[in-house]
Amino acid sequence: MSRKLDYPSAADDALVKAAQKADMQAFEELVARHRDKIYARAVSMMRNEEEAADLSQEAWVKAWQRLKQFQGEASFVTWMTRIIINLCLDQLRKQKRLRAESIEQLDEESGGVERQMPVVTPNPTERMERGELRQRIDEALGKLSCEHRTVLILHEFEELEYKEIAKRMQCSIGTVMSRLFYARRKIAALLAGWKREELR
Amino acid sequence: MINHETELRLQAYLDGELSPGEAKAVEDFSNSDADARSLFEELKLTKSLLAENELEVRLPESRGFYWSKIQRQIEREEKGQASEQAETAATSWWLRFLAPAAALVALAVLVVVALRAPKGAEALVALDDSHEIETPLEETSSFSFQSEAAGMTVVWVDSHRE
Repeated sequence: MSRKLDYPSAADDALVKAAQKADMQAFEELVARHRDKIYARAVSMMRNEEEAADLSQEAWVKAWQRLKQFQGEASFVTWMTRIIINLCLDQLRKQKRLRAESIEQLDEESGGVERQMPVVTPNPTERMERGELRQRIDEALGKLSCEHRTVLILHEFEELEYKEIAKRMQCSIGTVMSRLFYARRKIAALLAGWKREELR
Repeated sequence: MINHETELRLQAYLDGELSPGEAKAVEDFSNSDADARSLFEELKLTKSLLAENELEVRLPESRGFYWSKIQRQIEREEKGQASEQAETAATSWWLRFLAPAAALVALAVLVVVALRAPKGAEALVALDDSHEIETPLEETSSFSFQSEAAGMTVVWVDSHRE
C-alpha cells in the first residue's frame, strides 16, 4: 500500500511524479512553491503586471496538460521557466513588439548611439544599497527596447547560450551578440548617468 | 578605437563562448590594448551587476485565489477536450459504419436502375436535339425513333422482352 504524500515537505520530484498520476493536490503545491518566480519572469519580459499574471496562469495550465512529457532532464522549475518564456515570446511576437531581424540591427551594425558612448569606469553603483540597485537595474531594463531586454534576460538571468537564445528569438547568433552588446552598454550608461545626477 | 567585430569577440570571451584558442587570442589582445581592456571591464561589471540583482517580484494574489483560477481553467479545458473527443468518436463511428452502408445502398440503387432500364437505350444516348425518341411505358416492348433532319421514323420492336 502506498504511503500518503506529505505535500508541504515533499521534494519537487516527488510532487511531479504524483501530479503526473493526476494528483491535483501535488500540482497545487508545485504552483504555490514556484508561482512567484514564474510570474516574475513574465513581468520582466512583458513589463505589464496584468499580462504577466494571465500568462503565468496559462503557463501552469499548459504545464498540467504536458506534465507527462516532463522527463526530469532539467529541474521542474527550469522546465516551467522555459514554458513561461516561450509564452511571453509568442505574445510579444503577436503584439509585434519583438522582431526577429530588424531595421534597428542595421543601425547597430553600422554603429548605433551606444557604440559612441564612453566606457563606464569606475563602478557607478558603489555604495548603493542592494534594494536601490535592484530598483535601478529594473528601471534601466524598462528603458531598453523589447529585443535588447529579452536578450539580456535570457542571457543574464536564464543563463542561456547565444545559440539557444538565437533559436528562441528566431534570429541569428550575430544578432544575439549585437543586441546583447548594445543592451549591456546601454545599461552601463544609464546606471552611470543616474550616478552623475546624484553627485550634482 | 576598436572595431565592432573585436568588441563582440571581447564580449564572447567574457561569456565563455569562444574556443580555447580564440579565447587566448582575445585575452592577449585585451591585455595589450587599453581601450579593449576598459571595455572588457565595463562589460564584465554590467554582467555581474545584472546576474546578482534581478528585482524580486511577488504575485499579488493569494495562494487559494490564484490556484482556483488555474484549477477552473484546467477543468474547463478538460471538459472541452472531452466533448471534442466524443464528437470525434461519433464522427469516426459514422465513417466506419454508416459511410460504407450508404455506399452499398447507392450501389444497389444503381444496379436496380441499370437492370430496369430498357435494353438498347445506351445506343441512343449520343443522339442530338434534332432527334426524338419515344419510349412508351416500361411494360411495352417497342421504341420509336423519329428524325426530322433525316425525314425518317423507325419503330423498334423487342420480341425477346417478356
